[in-house]
Amino acid sequence: MQVKGMRRWGTALTVLGLLGLILVYWMSFFWVSTEATQGIVQRIFYVHVPAAWTSFLAFGLCALTSGMYLWLRDERLDRAALAAAEGGMVFATIMLTTGPLWGKIAWGTYWTWEPRLTLTLLLWFIFLGYFMVRGSTEDPGKGKRFAAVVAIVGALEIPFIHLSVIWFRSLHPQPVVVRPDGPTLPGDMFATLMTSLGAFTVLFLGMFLLRYALEGLKSELDARTRRAIA
Amino acid sequence: MIWDRLTRSVWNAAAPVLVAAALLVLSAAGLPAQEMPGLDRPSGLAGQGLRPYWHVFAAYTIAIVLVIVWVWSIARRLRDVEERLGG
Repeated sequence: MQVKGMRRWGTALTVLGLLGLILVYWMSFFWVSTEATQGIVQRIFYVHVPAAWTSFLAFGLCALTSGMYLWLRDERLDRAALAAAEGGMVFATIMLTTGPLWGKIAWGTYWTWEPRLTLTLLLWFIFLGYFMVRGSTEDPGKGKRFAAVVAIVGALEIPFIHLSVIWFRSLHPQPVVVRPDGPTLPGDMFATLMTSLGAFTVLFLGMFLLRYALEGLKSELDARTRRAIA
Repeated sequence: MIWDRLTRSVWNAAAPVLVAAALLVLSAAGLPAQEMPGLDRPSGLAGQGLRPYWHVFAAYTIAIVLVIVWVWSIARRLRDVEERLGG
């Protein structure tokens, strides 16, 4: 797909994702029923879980394209990895800020060093390292290769984050959707969650395409500057 | 330029979204007045007064602000690079 096409698709998906987000906010505040045990604070779930899912999708995509970059050395794959990593950081930050706001009400503390929270914070720091490693070498190619390895190592943690609440004693709630026996949520809560998952995913894909287009234009600008100097 | 129009279209869409989200968050202040089935006798988490509402509003505000800042950041960077390429 050409840069122009990506911008067009990116803009369309971003607008669609933002409209979806409005719908999610309306559903969360005015439509979905209040959970009987936790009360109103359970509604944080409708932004926290989709943010977590989208960040894992983004980091997974980053690791996949990074692995392919190490194999094929195609610059477009590195650009895709960078675009995905940036999106992953945005959604991981939403996950890591909304979770403690729920935790303060549900657990009485903003943070506890239990397995899932600790592993998720570690993932955030690993991908922060991804950006630092990229800019830490004089040879940009070497920085990209090092960062690709960091992304792969970071993404290997994602299955452990999902399974940590099953494998270890954990304060974090058990999965309510991705379970062997199917989702356990009531219909309206499940619909709100699925709408939110869709909106976050579409928004990420739109912004990913726009960010990828930006990297394409940057490399075009760099090439033009190099030609002008030569 | 096509890109200028695209950037403007993102912003034309983002601005109403931001306003609508802000209105939703503000209007949700009426939530405490809503009837909550099963919470006739508040106990435990459900009986913590208004504090949970502030946490919910804070969470939703953080989410929309981070998303909008990200959209704005990419639109601005794209515009800058486009201008430099055009210049």
